[in-house]
Amino acid sequence: MTLTTARCLILACGNTLRSDDGIGPWLAEWAEDRFRSEAGLRVLARQQWTPELAEEIARAESVLFIDCSVESTPGSVRIIEVQLAVPTPGLATHHLGAPELLALARELYDSLPRKALLLTVGAGSIELGEEFSEPVLDAIPQACSLLERTILQSLCGQD
Amino acid sequence: MSQTITIDPVTRLEGHGKITIQLNGQGEVQDAHFHVTQVRGFERFAQGRPFYEMPSLMARICGICPVSHLLASARACEAIMSVRIPYTAAQLRRMLNLAQMVQSHALSFFYLASPDLLLGMESDPKVRNIFGVVAAKPQLGRAGVALRRFGQHIIELLGSKRIHTGWVVPGGVTEPLSAAKRDEILGMIPEAYDNIGLALDAYKQIASSFKPEIEVFANFPSLFMGLINEDESVSFTVGTLRLIDAKGNIVEDGILASRFTEVIGEAVEPYSYTKFAYYKPLGYPQGSYRVGPLARLNIAKSMGTPMADKELAEFKQLADGPVLSSFYYHHARLVEILYGIEKIERMLNDPLILDKHVRAIAGVNRLEGAGQAEAPRGTLNHHYKVDDNGLITWANLVIATGQNNNAMNKGVLQAARHYVKDGKFTEGVLNRVEAVIRTFDPCLSCSSHAFGQMPLVLSLLSPDGEVLDRVVR
Repeated sequence: MTLTTARCLILACGNTLRSDDGIGPWLAEWAEDRFRSEAGLRVLARQQWTPELAEEIARAESVLFIDCSVESTPGSVRIIEVQLAVPTPGLATHHLGAPELLALARELYDSLPRKALLLTVGAGSIELGEEFSEPVLDAIPQACSLLERTILQSLCGQD
Repeated sequence: MSQTITIDPVTRLEGHGKITIQLNGQGEVQDAHFHVTQVRGFERFAQGRPFYEMPSLMARICGICPVSHLLASARACEAIMSVRIPYTAAQLRRMLNLAQMVQSHALSFFYLASPDLLLGMESDPKVRNIFGVVAAKPQLGRAGVALRRFGQHIIELLGSKRIHTGWVVPGGVTEPLSAAKRDEILGMIPEAYDNIGLALDAYKQIASSFKPEIEVFANFPSLFMGLINEDESVSFTVGTLRLIDAKGNIVEDGILASRFTEVIGEAVEPYSYTKFAYYKPLGYPQGSYRVGPLARLNIAKSMGTPMADKELAEFKQLADGPVLSSFYYHHARLVEILYGIEKIERMLNDPLILDKHVRAIAGVNRLEGAGQAEAPRGTLNHHYKVDDNGLITWANLVIATGQNNNAMNKGVLQAARHYVKDGKFTEGVLNRVEAVIRTFDPCLSCSSHAFGQMPLVLSLLSPDGEVLDRVVR
């Protein structure tokens, strides 16, 4: 399997059958459609982030993680820089967070993206269902706008 | 005064379970149980669904080995349809199952077991994880990640999805393999050989330092069962089941899926939601048996590929007869990964692999059907009954973990009796008792998703429930 270097790697996480948890994959699909002709963008959506993604991250110039947040105000859209994790006891191997994936990329491949950001949308509901809650629906334009701006900056190297 | 030690949940497993250890008044281990604490209910809610939906529905049982459920289910449906699938479809399914076996075994060995094996059972739990492995053995860490990706990428290429592909359907597969995809897979093979070679070398270097664990990690005589080809080579997707005893004598042979329930019964215990399978003529629990990599290698006379055959010959030198210690499940997994890579390469080099005829079409021709396949962790049997319209009226699934259930419980008791002394336990003891379960790589409830970290709590309780001691990590 040949992995290509992405100028901007989008890594979304979420379950589309758990209401607002599906906002990550939804935004990833939107970005893939919006930047369809852009060869430097690579988009991956997963139900869980697993260790195999470390190599993709290590090869990317920049990475943007997208996830819902159950700790944030429903509908709030945030973007933060991701710091490398310090490994902890009982570290899960089936699913990792963005900081752990970054740390794994460095440990395994001695390489990190120039920039690593995490975009989150506050979840209103993660119950079974394929529709978003009102706060998340209302937040979609803002999330798309922020996503678009961030991708454009990454593609232009304006980090 | 008797006491109970509880390990809840057990970490680095597929799903959630807990262990309780019952001590007597002298602080000696009296009994021990491995509990599966989740209830599923797939057999029940499948009722009323059209039979042709069953493969994709049943694949949802598991996020780690959906392909094996998909295949066992499709074969049960094909028994209902009374069809024989095209040769190329059978080969493509075999390849899919082997790819899944490679990625699942890589997960088990590198991510779940190697922290114990490479860093030590008593190593600092703060670093006894994949980060610790990567820091100590970076080349091996990269090999594990690459082997898992190898299997996953083949599944993605064949089935268009890494998990829960709908490519396998009753009658065959939905699409043939393209030359471009074949060539892409063939291009990944050399690196996969390098990586499994590295893992086998590393395992053989450290295995001898685990002699105490080999002695007490579910090391006892038992029956073993698995699929086998007519030429007595190992099989994952076709063939019939063979059951051998602890001395290697064949107890039952040529067990077709349709005869499975004549031979195998299921018992229940009040402390677990998972059933306990047993060989009916010996009754329960005497008829308990083991399945999975250790069983498959014990049963098979050959792997059917040159490099894996060489490894099998070396594996069989470990014992005079079947290898009985469950510690060797780890070794068996690595041999099976090598076999999977060789077999995939061989199938891809067969020109017929690109044949376009990959699906047989039929309706309901029988009202009952059963199918079997080998999942990474052991044999699966799916058995369905339908009405004249093809709607499911009854379903029963016998899964690998249920078939290893009794051996896992006996193994926990054996290890606890060896390691827990005078009612005292340390983190290293706790880890070894868990590690017995990890050798089997049980799949308890893979389709469930955990939110956040799973804490591990081991409690020592007095008979009246007072917490006498507690370890949390």
